Amino acid sequence: MSDLPQKVKDWLGKPVIVVDHVVTVEQGLWTNFCVAVKDGNPLYWDYSVSREETETVIAPPTMLPSWAIEHEWMPGREGPALRTLELHFMVKDALGLKNGLVTEVELELHDPLRAGDSVRAEQILRSVGEERETRLGLGRDWEIDVVYRKPDGSLAGVQTLHLLGYGKVAA
Amino acid sequence: MTAPPTPHIGMSLPKLDIPITRKLVSMGAAASRDWQPQHHDPDWARDAGLPDIIMNNYTQAGLISRFVTDWSGPSGRIGRLRFSMRRPVCPGGTAKFRGMVVDISAEVDAMTWVEIDIEISLDDTRATTATVRLALPATARSRSPWHCPAVKWRP
Repeated sequence: MSDLPQKVKDWLGKPVIVVDHVVTVEQGLWTNFCVAVKDGNPLYWDYSVSREETETVIAPPTMLPSWAIEHEWMPGREGPALRTLELHFMVKDALGLKNGLVTEVELELHDPLRAGDSVRAEQILRSVGEERETRLGLGRDWEIDVVYRKPDGSLAGVQTLHLLGYGKVAA
Repeated sequence: MTAPPTPHIGMSLPKLDIPITRKLVSMGAAASRDWQPQHHDPDWARDAGLPDIIMNNYTQAGLISRFVTDWSGPSGRIGRLRFSMRRPVCPGGTAKFRGMVVDISAEVDAMTWVEIDIEISLDDTRATTATVRLALPATARSRSPWHCPAVKWRP
């Protein structure tokens, strides 16, 4: 990784982007997601069934990353929202690559989220691969972890993303 | 409540076929709060070298989770979900979800960990492969995996 720009090297292994309580978890939002994917798991819908299992209804656990995406617009904020995975775009731009894709995702799920919860998400660059020829042109792979915690510090989950950047921007 | 399944290695999950529509792709992106243009803007997607808008990874994760818990029932608790997107999932055609139990652990803290391999194919071409690690109650009398103390939850 000796050919990496210094600022990308500096980002490795530590939280570079921190997103803290940008959305309060609430059932109306997660119901929209359940409707989209037609997920009828009663833990997301049914208070009597969920009481036995999870005390009350919970948000679909795989929806965890959605609770750390900034609102597209909000009053009083100057400039655009952070992008969905801001650190990925920072890496892509720093490497002079035009496009980026998620190729592999791993979600490790811990304490489920309920209405009223929020999360703090830390984005950490784990590794950047060598430049290589891909089906979409010259590119590179990199890996980002996002660690999600509740306000009390308990772990909600960890998302690991493998990403591909491609399409060299003309110098 | 429906009893959770008794899994064995080689057991197939019930098949799931889902038409991939423009509505599903854009609704999944919006509901997961993902406004990246490749999930709703066909012109932008084509400029980026993609065939059309593509389903975002959050919607794929949601569909995989649904596929698994439709089978396991609500006492099934997913601990880990890993998936590789080998080909973009675009509107048109039907996504076929197929899954099989490939490993079962010995009882740990009243739970059995089940590993499931999943393939999503579009037009008979593999689009996404996934592995899910799912906790089920070890026996009919075991406590639910949802009641596992945080310190003992090791997905």
